[in-house]
Amino acid sequence: MFQNFRLTMAWLHTWFGLVLGFVLMVVFFFGSLSVFDREIDRWAIPSTRFAPQPMPSFDKILKPVFEDMRPSAENIEAAKSRVNGPIAQSFPVTKSWGAYTTHRDPVLSLFTGYELPNAKDPEDTIWGTRTIDPRTGASLPDDHLKIGSQFFYPLHYSLNWKWKDLGTWIVGFAALMMLVALVSGVVMHRKIFRELFTFRPKKHTQRSALDLHNLTGVVALPFHFIFAFSGLVIFGGTYFPVTHTQLAPLHALHEKHEAAETGLPHERAGVAGSLASVDAMVAESQRRWAAQGMAGDVGFLSMQHVGDANAYVSVYRAGTDRIALVGNGIHFKASTGEMLREDPPQTAVASVNTFLTGLHLQHFRHWLLRWLYVLGGLSGCVCIATGFIFFVEKRKRQHAKQGVSGARWVDAFAVSTVTGMVIAALTMLIGNRLLPTDLAGRGDWEQNIFWGAWVLAFVHGIWRTAPVASARMAPAWAEQCWAIAVLGVAAVVLNGVTTGDHLLRTIGNGYWPVAGVDLAILASSAIAVLAARKLHRRAQAPLTASGTDAGAAASLETARA
Amino acid sequence: MPDALLLTSAVAVNVISLGWLALSMDAHWEQVRGTEPLQRSTVRTLRWMGAAGLLVALALCLAVDHASMASLVWFMALAGAALTIAFTLSWRPRVLGVLIAWVRRSPAGVLR
Repeated sequence: MFQNFRLTMAWLHTWFGLVLGFVLMVVFFFGSLSVFDREIDRWAIPSTRFAPQPMPSFDKILKPVFEDMRPSAENIEAAKSRVNGPIAQSFPVTKSWGAYTTHRDPVLSLFTGYELPNAKDPEDTIWGTRTIDPRTGASLPDDHLKIGSQFFYPLHYSLNWKWKDLGTWIVGFAALMMLVALVSGVVMHRKIFRELFTFRPKKHTQRSALDLHNLTGVVALPFHFIFAFSGLVIFGGTYFPVTHTQLAPLHALHEKHEAAETGLPHERAGVAGSLASVDAMVAESQRRWAAQGMAGDVGFLSMQHVGDANAYVSVYRAGTDRIALVGNGIHFKASTGEMLREDPPQTAVASVNTFLTGLHLQHFRHWLLRWLYVLGGLSGCVCIATGFIFFVEKRKRQHAKQGVSGARWVDAFAVSTVTGMVIAALTMLIGNRLLPTDLAGRGDWEQNIFWGAWVLAFVHGIWRTAPVASARMAPAWAEQCWAIAVLGVAAVVLNGVTTGDHLLRTIGNGYWPVAGVDLAILASSAIAVLAARKLHRRAQAPLTASGTDAGAAASLETARA
Repeated sequence: MPDALLLTSAVAVNVISLGWLALSMDAHWEQVRGTEPLQRSTVRTLRWMGAAGLLVALALCLAVDHASMASLVWFMALAGAALTIAFTLSWRPRVLGVLIAWVRRSPAGVLR
């Protein structure tokens, strides 16, 4: 088909990169934002702007809240298709309770699982969730969307397209092809080391875009490779669901054997059981961790078979001081507080798995590394964006001559993905500050604003890239950069006006979660202004030399945002 | 805050070391020193200093965190350092002259 291997790789890199680049752009950008998802949550829900809290007392704070919880209305609605006959009105059998926190969480997420009466699948579970202020146990309104951890973060791995996990599958395929793109990119690139530090902004756009594409691709190559790979590992259970398809009977048998080996009951006894002090179990766990030279806080606390004689409590350590995502779990019999089991040291395979998972999910406390992850993610954005620009620049004159509009459409999709995505995110934050606090379904409104803004940016992108069809420069890039600049400033001003947490106060008080988000937004606006001005200058320059240009500056800027 | 200081130094040493490695290449040397030729001995010295500097940066990272975390910090900082050097070479190449201030301007360039 092709004359040589390099050309084959070039074809693969170009076309798969182009099609899946749009997905990967979303994955990289919202992945970068997810590094600071908890901080974005603080920005979006002002009532949660206080210091991170340790896991509160189970006996005093958590137990009454857990007992008060029910499956959420949304989950009851979704479960209607999973039962025979009408859905039950009450869910008396509680399967599990769980509480989860990290060193960056002022509020605490709780979840409860219940048996689903008359379920088609007898193992089916219906879930309840709640977020509380751990200092008092008071609940937060359910419809206040945690924009960072509940919207941007799932957008990163599932495109928020939950139907049949389709979004997760698309992202998985894109990640797999990204590994291919990285390898084929290395094959295509003849001078990896000789041109490692090469970026020539003054050359024509096609050349400088390729320079930047190579630079950002190569310097962060191991980061991109390991993140795409570990992302696939994290969702291995979704992509290879053998335990619940072909190997389901084996999986069920394995669970029983495991229960026999660990002494942690697999089934309920069917007899009501009492509950000893969980706080004492937590204290015992912390004593054991400290004795092993790894004193630490509780990250995850759970109870299985709630209310049953077989109930047991599991206490997991927060992994703030290590990369590997390990909990060093200690398990207790709920009725007596007797220790049932301490998780043994990991096997080699499990160590690799927890290391890769932890590397990607970042539970550790290391602010420099967090920022370096953002840098890695944004360099991925620049790499993809410059890939689009290179594609367009390389073809637009030829397409114009031939009268085909391919380059124009790619440019339209590129601008809507690259700058349009930033516009959508900023508009969502503005919506978050303007919508009334007690508006019913507030979170749904915010999500609709996000998608609505993105659609508008897309329409604008299609409209204002028309000149590309005649090999000229698209005004869409500069215009969307101006939009980012204005929206960014508006978001920061609105935060100050509606909450009183303007930058002077947040910086003065050293409240970095909110100050950091504000500063990052302002930095994006500043870069957007620089990019827009540069694009205007290029547009006004005589159409000689590099004339038509939707430049590298624009891509740099959007990635930064 | 000695940890913050150590990490800042690690980042700085990474940048300086990659700067030396970049300047051991003809194209980048020329961006900083113009037509003055790059001597073989200077190339060797720059490469050794660059490599040693990277090791020093790694050691600084190891002084703060345990090995797995430290190597990750070092590696990610390396990516940031490479971008810093590349963009400096694009827009303000002469700034990197400070990294080779100790290399005497040889008269050879003038003589040729």
